[in-house]
Amino acid sequence: MATLTTKSNIPIDVTDDELKLWFQFQKFYSREAWALDQRRYHDWLEMFTEDTHYFMPRRKNVRFKELDREVTGEDDLAAIFDENKTIMRIRVERLETGTAWAEDPPSRTRHLITNLEVEPRANGEVKARTAFLVYRSHLETEETLYAGGREDTLRHVDGKWKIAKRVVVLDANVIMAKNLSVFF
Amino acid sequence: MVLTKKHQVIDLKTGQLSGHIFVDPDIYPQELKQIFGRSWLMIGHESLVAKPNDSLHTYIGKDPVILVRDGKGKLHAFLNRCTHRGNRTCRVDDGNEKFFTCAYHGWIFANDGKLTHVPGYEEAYYGELHRETHALKKARIDTYAGIVFATWDQHAPSLEEYLGDARWYLDTVFNRLESGTEAYGPIKWMEPVNWKTPVDNCSDNYHVPLSHGSSAGLETAYLGRPRTTLDEQFKSPSKHLSVNGHAITFRMSQPGDVRRAHGVTNENLHLFEQYYKETQADAERHLGKFRAGHVQLANHSIYPNGVLGFRLALPRGPMLTEFWHFVVVEKAMPRELKKALANGSVSNNGPAGLFEQDDLDNWRQVTDGTRTPMGQSLPQDLSMGLNHSGRHDEYVGEVSERYISESNQRKFYQRWEEFMNAEDWGDIALQPRTASYEGTATMKG
Ligand code: FES
Ligand SMILES: [Fe+2]
Repeated sequence: MATLTTKSNIPIDVTDDELKLWFQFQKFYSREAWALDQRRYHDWLEMFTEDTHYFMPRRKNVRFKELDREVTGEDDLAAIFDENKTIMRIRVERLETGTAWAEDPPSRTRHLITNLEVEPRANGEVKARTAFLVYRSHLETEETLYAGGREDTLRHVDGKWKIAKRVVVLDANVIMAKNLSVFF
Repeated sequence: MVLTKKHQVIDLKTGQLSGHIFVDPDIYPQELKQIFGRSWLMIGHESLVAKPNDSLHTYIGKDPVILVRDGKGKLHAFLNRCTHRGNRTCRVDDGNEKFFTCAYHGWIFANDGKLTHVPGYEEAYYGELHRETHALKKARIDTYAGIVFATWDQHAPSLEEYLGDARWYLDTVFNRLESGTEAYGPIKWMEPVNWKTPVDNCSDNYHVPLSHGSSAGLETAYLGRPRTTLDEQFKSPSKHLSVNGHAITFRMSQPGDVRRAHGVTNENLHLFEQYYKETQADAERHLGKFRAGHVQLANHSIYPNGVLGFRLALPRGPMLTEFWHFVVVEKAMPRELKKALANGSVSNNGPAGLFEQDDLDNWRQVTDGTRTPMGQSLPQDLSMGLNHSGRHDEYVGEVSERYISESNQRKFYQRWEEFMNAEDWGDIALQPRTASYEGTATMKG
C-alpha cells in the first residue's frame, strides 16, 4: 500500500522546488476540504481525473509481526470503496435528487487535512499523503469522527492537478459510524 | 408442554406490532438467550478458512467465536474464552496458527480446542488440574453450500431441517453450481438500530422505490439498472413467502436470464449473459430444469439475523447492531465478473452503500419512534396484505398473493414470539419439508 517514502529525518536544506510543490499541494488540499465542507460537491468531483480510482481497503486486527497483511489489498473483493468516476458521479448527483435520505437533510462536516507529504515522480506525477480528521454532525444530535490517511496519485491535466488515484485508509476495524455518506 | 404465553407482540388479525419489542430493556438479554442461543447462525464460509490451521474470528450472536480448520482439515467453532478465567485466547481477525495462547497467564490451546499447556501445571496446580475438561467450549457446526452455521443448542434440529424448504429457494443463488461459491470480507460497521429492523426490512420491497429512488434512478441512467418504480413492483409476478421464519422473495425468470444483482451494468451485461448461458446446463443438472430456469432468489433474510445473503446483523444492544457484509460469488465466474459483482455489492450495500446508507435513518427512527413516551403506546402497522397469503400449488411456504406485502414481516415476528416463548426446541415448530429437490444439489453443495 505505502509507496511514498516518509523518513523521519529531513535534510537541513529545502530547495525552492520542494517548497513550491509543498505549498501548491497544501493549497490543493485546503481547497478540497473547503469544497467538501461548503458542499460544492461538483467542484470536488472536478478534482479527480476521468479515469480515477477511489479505493478504501479494510483494516484487520493482525499480530505485529504480520502487519504486512493488516490492510487488505486491491485483489480483495470486499474493499469498502473500490470505484470509478461514474459511481462517484452518482454519489454526487444523487444529493441533488431530493431523496438521498442519508444526506437530506445534509450532514455538517469539517475536514481537517494535515501532515502533508509530497513526492514528485519521474513520470511527472506526484504522490501526496495526507492525514485527516473528519467531523460529522447529522440531524439533531448525532456525531461521528472519522480519522485516517489518504494517499493520492496526482496528474497534470489541462494545467491543473487532478487526483488519478486515491487510497483512503480509515483508522478503524469496526467502523463506528452508521454509514459513510460523507466524502473523504 | 403448555406455556402461558409471555410474549404477544404481533396481532395476526390486525397486523399491529407492539413497539415494546424494541424498547423493553428486559427483552434484549432474553433474545440473546432464547433466539441467538438456540438458532443456527451463519458464522463464516469455508473459503475463508480454506487451508489447514486457518482461522476466522466471528460471532455466534454476541459470543465471540473462533472458526478454525485444524491441522487435519476439520472445522471447529470455539467460544473465544479461555477456560481459566475467561480471557479471549485470540485477538486477531483471521490467521493461520496451530495454537491459541491466552495473553493473561499463558494457557495454550491447540486448534482442535484441547488445552495443551498450563504454565506451572506441576508447580502451581500440583498436577491436579483436569486438562481434558478445560478444552475450549465447542459449538455445534454444520455447513450449507459452503456457508458455515453454528449453534450452542445441542437439541436444535439439524441445519437441514432448520432451513427447511427455504433451501429450495436459497439454492438458486447459493447452490446454483456444483463448483460452489467463495466469500470475501467482512466489512464491519456499527448501526444504531435494533437487530430486528434490518432483518424485517429484507422482505420490504415496498420501500425500495421510495427509500432508494435517488440511487436507483441514477443507476438506471448511468449503468442501465432496470427501472425500480412502485408501479413495476405492484405489477410484479414475483413472490414473497416465508418458511420457518426465513423470509424469501424471488423473481420468476426464464432460462439463462442474468440475475440483475448490483454490479451488472450496460457495459458488462453481455459478459454476464454469456456466463449465464454457458453455465445454464450445469445449473439445470444441479437444481433441475424448473428451479434453474424459473426461480431467482431476490431479497431475503435467514432467521434470525441473516440479511440479504451472507450478511449479518449481530446484536450489540437494544439499539445497536454490528453489521457484517460479506461478498459471495460463484467460483466458476471469470475474475472480471466476480469483481463487477463485488464492487456492485459493496458500493450499494456496504457502509458507504448507495442503497444501504439511505436505509439507516429510516431504520433508526422507526424503532426510536417507539421509545418516546407517547410513541411507546402506539403500535407499528404491519397490516399490508393481511388475509392474502396462504398455501400455493407450486411454491412451498406461506406465500402472499402479491409481491408487495408485509406477510413475511408478520411471520418473522411470529417466529420471534415462538422462540421467545419456547422452553426449548420442543416448543418450536418446523414446517414439514415438501418441496421436491430435483437435480444433484445437496446441503453440502
Ligand atoms: S485467563 Fe487465560 S490463562 Fe488465565
Ligand atoms: Fe433498503
